[in-house]
Order: sequence, then structure tokens, then C-alpha cells
Amino acid sequence: MLELTLFYIASTVALFATVLAMTRTNAIHALIYLIVSLLAIAVIFFLIGAPFAAALEIVIYAGAIMVLFVFVIMMLNLGEKGDARERQLLQPHVWLGPAILSLVLLVELLYLISTVEGPASSGSVSPKSVGLALFGPYVIAVELASMLLLSGLVGSYHLGRRYLDRGL
Amino acid sequence: MKVIDFYSLAPILGLSVTIIVVMIQASIKRNHKLAWWISFLGVTATLWSTHLATSYPQQVTPLFLINPSGLWFSSLITVGALVTLILSTDDENTGFKVTEEYYLLLLLSTLGAVVLILASHMASLLLGMELLGISLYAMIAFPEKDPNPLEGAIKYLVLSAAASAMLLFGFALIYAATGDLSYTGIGAKLSSAGIKNPLLVVAGTSMLLASIGFKLSLAPFHMWTPDVYQGAPTPVTNFLATVSKGAMLVALSRFTIDGQLHQYPTFMLCLSVLAIISMLVGNWLALRQQQIKRLLAYSSIAHFGYLLVALVALRQLQESDEIFYSSLEAINFYLTAYIITSLAAFTVIANIGGENDPDMRSFAGLFWRKPVQASTLTVAMLSFAGIPLTAGFLGKFYLITLALNTNLWLLLITLVFGSAIAIYYYLRVIYTMLITSSSDNNYEVPLISSPMWRDALAIILMISVILLGTWPQPFIDFMRHL
Repeated sequence: MLELTLFYIASTVALFATVLAMTRTNAIHALIYLIVSLLAIAVIFFLIGAPFAAALEIVIYAGAIMVLFVFVIMMLNLGEKGDARERQLLQPHVWLGPAILSLVLLVELLYLISTVEGPASSGSVSPKSVGLALFGPYVIAVELASMLLLSGLVGSYHLGRRYLDRGL
Repeated sequence: MKVIDFYSLAPILGLSVTIIVVMIQASIKRNHKLAWWISFLGVTATLWSTHLATSYPQQVTPLFLINPSGLWFSSLITVGALVTLILSTDDENTGFKVTEEYYLLLLLSTLGAVVLILASHMASLLLGMELLGISLYAMIAFPEKDPNPLEGAIKYLVLSAAASAMLLFGFALIYAATGDLSYTGIGAKLSSAGIKNPLLVVAGTSMLLASIGFKLSLAPFHMWTPDVYQGAPTPVTNFLATVSKGAMLVALSRFTIDGQLHQYPTFMLCLSVLAIISMLVGNWLALRQQQIKRLLAYSSIAHFGYLLVALVALRQLQESDEIFYSSLEAINFYLTAYIITSLAAFTVIANIGGENDPDMRSFAGLFWRKPVQASTLTVAMLSFAGIPLTAGFLGKFYLITLALNTNLWLLLITLVFGSAIAIYYYLRVIYTMLITSSSDNNYEVPLISSPMWRDALAIILMISVILLGTWPQPFIDFMRHL
């Protein structure tokens, strides 16, 4: 019953943050809400017994990819106008929403960790079993995923080069 | 993995090795002629390796089921890639500067198609589809100067990403219901899961069907097709029409059969509705098209509607095993005929117009200017329309017989009605080519120089279409052994 409540809280946060991310007109605001949504999904992963997936979700999506997005968008706003915009970002009405949502998640996570039993559901997926699955039966899938990344890389290189050539 | 597994995976490995070699070559010294030759040799070797792998049909890891019919389609897809490769040799033909990346993307896309065909697991299905799709976005947007390809690519990217998300969601729901991701596992557990969680199963399969329907451009999900067909460079359109769609249909049929989806009346009803709408909408909208690529886009919607009839026929599988083989044979024949005919048609379009074939009027009087190309296009159009002595006729014959045997009257009537409409616009193309003195000569596009191999390729494809229609016995025998 308890885990169900926790699950519903985290999912509400995820849904709420995602809807807000979609409706924001400012890209930075949207991205911050998207990060909160990813954090909420990580909490759900943790709750259903996949701590490794939860960690990956934070490290890769929220940590690496989203922060990269935020960096790139901030880099594009250089100059006087950008400074003004950045100052605007520090206004409370911008960060209050994501902060409250993250706080809910943090409280939930702290509570989860402090309960001695750990994740309530039986049997959690360890990093070792993930690795064994990936490099056992699904090894070809891993290789194909690398091909997928290659095609994304080559494609974006080609499409991006037209702007590099013009010296933007 | 054992050594024998590597033999079975030979087509996938062949393409992957070619991709790596082209990439290393491009990073050492850029030379697009050399890259073309490496890709050409690699694809040819892959074609041979599909033959090699037929001696080792087996399940390789949970991800792939290597079987003769899958390998036959892989080789067909590889031929499609080969023709695309030949069509995109020079800048003049494609209207853009071809670089090494183009060949790399083409190879990656072909790899995705082969993976999609041989997949027996949701993970490999998704990986194959994404590999195919992501490389295609970049290929569609490859020309640098033109805004049209970019427009087409963005439309395809946005809609296709939505379709992929839907597919993933569908997988998640099906996995939640059955706890299995392999086709056969789903097939075994779906019926009991359907009783326990009917909503999950229905939502999951319909999302899956919608996503695959998008990739096949079946009727309610067809909006992207004409713009992408028109915007993409002709060789890429050729690739999209043959390789991408063909692979997706094979994947759908394998999933339907292995996942035993044919025993659910609701699923079959959805397929029939999609088929009927596709046949009507595709043929209806093709009627008024002035641009040949748009015309072929709409006609492809109709053709995949026809192909679904063969899948719907599987619903009577419980009653007799015969249906299974005749349905499979119909799919095999029709798809083979469709792919070869499309290759012929797009080869001619690429040879005639290069990149600038905005209008059907540029084909006026083609018979008197370029007889070989014109007769190839004529044969292709007749085959699309299903006129006797061409491959398309036998394909349609198979479908009609199958629909008669399985009492699919409504589908049969729509099929015949659709084909009747289709004859009009296919014949219009032929008629345009016969016009001698067009009053508005300013539409005559400057013909690009035609080396020998252009005519040779067109002739080879024309002969294959006719051979498949006039002397199909060897091919039918071959199919029975698949």
C-alpha cells in the first residue's frame, strides 16, 4: 500500500513536469522541467526495484544529455541580451516550480533510503545481471545500438556541416 | 555464440564490416569514387552472403530468427540497395554532391532493413526500425542547397519519431501484459494475458499497429508520404519505397504469424479496415497528381493496402493449413513484384529527370527521345496496374485467388475497384510519354547525358519484371521451398 502511494506521488510529479515541459515557451524552462520529469522517472525505477536503471537515468539523461542541452542553449544566448536573459532566469518564479517538484522527489527518496528494507518490491535488478544480459543473449543488440549511434553521428555531422561551411 | 551463428548472421556481418571499412577509408583519405566501390563490393558480398546463410537456418540468440524466407527478402532488399547505390553514382543524376557520408548512411539504412526483416524479438525490431529511420532522415535531407528535401526530412522525422514513441509504448504495454518480448513468447502468452488484461493487450497491439502503419504509410497514417517522396532525392525515394517499406511489411507479417495475432478477430478487423481505407484513399488521391513521384507515393499506399489482404487472409488459419502457405506465397510474390517494379520505375525517373522532375509534362514524347527508358517505365506502369504478362498481374492474381478462397468479399471488391481506378492514372503516364507534339515545349527538361549503364540497368529491371510475369514457374518453385 505504501509503495503504491509513493509510486503515485512520483508518477504525478513526472506527469506534471512533462506537461509543463511541453507547454513552456522558453526552451530553458522546458528543459528544466524535463530534467525534473526524468528525476521522477528515476525515482519510479528505484521504487520498482531497478536501482541501477535509476542511477543510469540520472547519470545519462538528467546528468549528461539534458545538461548538455542547457549548456548549448545558454551558449547560444551570448552577449548583452543573453546576460539580461540569464539574470531573468534567476527570478524565483522561474525556478520555484521545478524546485518544489524536485523537493517532493527528494523527500520521497530520503524516505525510501531510510527505510531499512530498501525497495519494497521483491528482488532488485543488480548491475551485474544487467551486464550479463547485455553481453550474453543481447550482445548483438548492443552492437546494433552502436551502429544506431554511428548513423545518428554521421547524419548530424552532414546536416550540421552546411552551417559550419557557411561560417556561422 | 558459436561459429555457426556467425555463418547465419553473415548478411548482417557483411554489411557491418562494409560500414566500418567505408568509415575508416573516409577518415584516412576522402575519395568518393573509392567509397562507392567499397560500398558496391560490400553490398554485392552481402548479396552472396544471404545465399551462404541459407545453409544455416536457425535461431541466433533471442534476437534473430534466420530462415529462408527472411534471407530471400534480405537479398531482395540488398538488390534494392544496390540499385540505389548505382543510381547515386554521380552528382548529375542525384542533383547534389554525393559524399562518403551518403554511402555510409545508405549502408547503415540497409543494415537496419536486414535487421528488421530477420528480427524475432521486439528489441531487434525496434533497433532495426530506428537504424533504418535515422539514416533515412539524413539521406532525405542530404542535398545541401534545396529547401524541399529538408522540409520532407523534417516532416518524416517528427512524425516518425512520434510513431517510434508509440511503438515503444505499445511494446511496454504488451510486455506488461505478457512478460515476454520475443515474437513466439508473445504468441504463446498473449491469449491468456488477453483474458486477464484485455485493455492492456488491445491498447498495446493497436499502438503497435498504428506505428507500423505509419512506416508503411497505410491510409489514416499516410500524410507524410507524398511530401517525403517528392522532397527526397530520387535515389533516396527509390530506397524508401522499396527497402524501407518492404522490410517493414516483412516485419509486420513475421510478427503477425509468430505472435499468432491472426487468431484475434479485433486485430484482423483493424487490418481489414486499414487495408480498405488504404486501397481507396491511395488510388483516389493518385488520380489527380501531376507529379510522378507524388503519383507513385499515393499508389504505394494503395499497393500496401493490397498486400494487407494477404495478411488478413491468415485469420482462417485454424481451419486449414493451406491458407498459411498460400498467404505467405501471395505476400512473397506480390512484394517481390512490387519491389522490382518500383526499382524499374524509379530508375527511369532518376535517369530522366535527375533531381528536377517537377512535372509529368517533362515526360511528354519520351518514347521518341529515349525509347529504352520510356519502355521500361511503360512496363513498370503496366505491372503496377496489374496488366497480364507483367509481374504485377501475377501478384494481383495471387491476392484475388487468396481473397476468394478465404471469402474476404469486401476486401476483394475494394481490391478490384481500386485496381480499376488505378489503371486510369497509370495509363495516363504512358499516354503522356506517347504524345509527340506538346504545345508547351518549355516544359521539356534538358535531358541528362546517358551513359551505357543507365540504359543497361533499366533494361535489366524491365526484363526481370517481364520474366516474372511471363515465366514465373521457376520463381514459384523457388518460393515453395522457402
